[in-house]
Amino acid sequence: MGRGGYFERYLRVDLGRPSAEHVPLEEATRRAVVGGVGLGALLLTRETPPRFDPLGPEAALVLAFGPLVGTPLTTSAKLAFVAKSPLTGRISDGLSSSSFAIAGKRAGLDAIVIVGEAAEPSIVLVDEEGAEVVPCPDLWGRDVSISEASARLREAYPEHRFAVIGVAGERLVRYAGIANEGRHAGRGGLGAVLGAKRVKAIGVRGSRPVPLADAEATLRIAKDLARRSLGPATEKYRSLGTVANLSTFNRLAALPTRNFQASTFEEARRIEGEALHDTRERGRGSCKSCTIGCEHFFEVRPGERPVKMEYENLFALGPLCGIGDPEVVLRASSACDELGIDTISAGGTIAFAMECAERGLLPAGPLAEEARDLRFGAGERMLVLLEDIARRRTALGDLLAEGSRRAAERLGGEAPSFAPHVKGLEIPGYEPRALQTMALGFAVGTRGADHNRSGAYEADFSGKVNRFEASEESAAHAVAAEDRAAVMDALILCKFLRRALEDFFGESAEMLRAVTGLPFETEELARAAGRITLVRRLFNEREGWTPAEDTLPARFFEEKLPGGAAKGAGIDREGFARSIKAYHARRGLDERGFVPAEVARDMASLIGGKNR
Amino acid sequence: MVTIELYGVARLRARREAIEVAARSLGEALAALGAACPTLEPLIVAGGRLAPGWLVALNGAQITADLETPLGDGDVVVLVSADAGG
Ligand code: SF4
Repeated sequence: MGRGGYFERYLRVDLGRPSAEHVPLEEATRRAVVGGVGLGALLLTRETPPRFDPLGPEAALVLAFGPLVGTPLTTSAKLAFVAKSPLTGRISDGLSSSSFAIAGKRAGLDAIVIVGEAAEPSIVLVDEEGAEVVPCPDLWGRDVSISEASARLREAYPEHRFAVIGVAGERLVRYAGIANEGRHAGRGGLGAVLGAKRVKAIGVRGSRPVPLADAEATLRIAKDLARRSLGPATEKYRSLGTVANLSTFNRLAALPTRNFQASTFEEARRIEGEALHDTRERGRGSCKSCTIGCEHFFEVRPGERPVKMEYENLFALGPLCGIGDPEVVLRASSACDELGIDTISAGGTIAFAMECAERGLLPAGPLAEEARDLRFGAGERMLVLLEDIARRRTALGDLLAEGSRRAAERLGGEAPSFAPHVKGLEIPGYEPRALQTMALGFAVGTRGADHNRSGAYEADFSGKVNRFEASEESAAHAVAAEDRAAVMDALILCKFLRRALEDFFGESAEMLRAVTGLPFETEELARAAGRITLVRRLFNEREGWTPAEDTLPARFFEEKLPGGAAKGAGIDREGFARSIKAYHARRGLDERGFVPAEVARDMASLIGGKNR
Repeated sequence: MVTIELYGVARLRARREAIEVAARSLGEALAALGAACPTLEPLIVAGGRLAPGWLVALNGAQITADLETPLGDGDVVVLVSADAGG
């Protein structure tokens, strides 16, 4: 059996010089962290000095591919964008899937690392030979939408596939995302990292086939997986999409509403997935190389282009802001996609501002003046505010472009107690008091409150734990959920496939063996999962992490849920602290949550570079 | 009577939002649900049991798959897909 899955090198692009060089990627590294988010975290650490400014020239943006992209395996057309988040100051990784991922890999690369700052607004064009930095004066500072910019780039460079930032990335909005072909690496402000480098877009072109160590076995697995991907385990995604969550969460009183002041929304019926499906659904779509197709498009108004909607956009721009008008929520989601901002952070930050405005916490002057008509449920006001934030064009827009944590720090007083974030990252659509194993997953997450890197909510929905209590048992579930996510995000395969895998680690190892020819064993992969979390934790420690960050906003400990099936639920501070300690122990961390010195020493030789 | 509420895929398949059944335990309620809504068999309920990946939230609160769970008049069984989330 030959070797496959990797090209055994990455491309390092220095925008300042500008220059590009291929750097070998040794087998030990590939075995240790597999690819995707694992490889991204490792290269980010390796390629940056301690305590760097995420918006400075020393910052690196890593585009890391997995070993499976470009193979016939369903949902494998993905890559990870990894950087230090300007929103949190901690590691951030966003996954995205499209033919951009395939073209990048087929340029003969396992990753692309971009450092430095371009002398003028530019695009970066990558191919099998290297990279070129090309000025793009017509696309920068012209308020061009993401679709318009993407269309112009496709026309100018028909052989390339592009990842693009919007006006929000140019204006360094701390939760600007990176878009590629309708998908978004949304969280943590990676678009601002690119904006600070004066890079509007990255284009990739490649035609090298991804080698398969055992083509026959890979094809057999791919066929079987494609068949299973169309079974009951993914029916929800195919028939309704993730918007199906809204009605269930509302019934279970787990739907964050009005900036987490409630967990049921009286207008949920108007925007629930089932209603959108019956009255507005106009089509389905899928990422490249996906047999599931979870994308659902909904009509805003007859004659207008239908809008793709997912649960996180729906909850954040709907109930979280007290908005029940489906048309407004669809418009807001579409606006975020065109401006290039993360919907969860946008919704969370605006909901926070709505609460501040209702409580009269904004100081007299422009902020109070602009927030005069800002109230929960003020849909039209939210639509204008999204535009203001993306362009930083008013005092309030500029403040909220900083995210809820920084905005709360500036406002002071009681505001920080209800700013809805962990480590600066706004909380997704899972009410922590009603899903307390998920609450633990949020608190300990390396990129902040994160439902993608920790699927700990699965334990809350499993009946195996009391969902109204974070216990030591929760810690075991939180670790297991992180490990499963780490492997999926390193391979990279879509998480919506996870229930179709009966023996998760075993089947994942089998895929890796077939594609790469490396003797990945089940236990080795399980160890790699834990190692990936440790690499991220070590990066955060190097960048100044302290144990005090692994917590939740005070609201969740001090205020009980007011109604619905979770009425009276709150999080017990001491019990929660015990579950965090139990998590540390299970993760192999010391009492306070640091990576033990001997483990850090071992990992330092793996990571290499200028760290520690 | 016991009310069974349906969400998501279950609602689409059954083409109804809720159903009332006479039952003294969760197992009895699920058997009655399967009989009344054959489109839920066997992928959501299967012969009085929950199919893999399905659970219930009793009165919307605690989540269980225990078929012996006793039910009383006025109880609400919320049928939940275990892939709620993500
Ligand atoms: S299931 Fe959805 S998110 Fe996952 S790869 Fe397919 S279309 Fe993309």
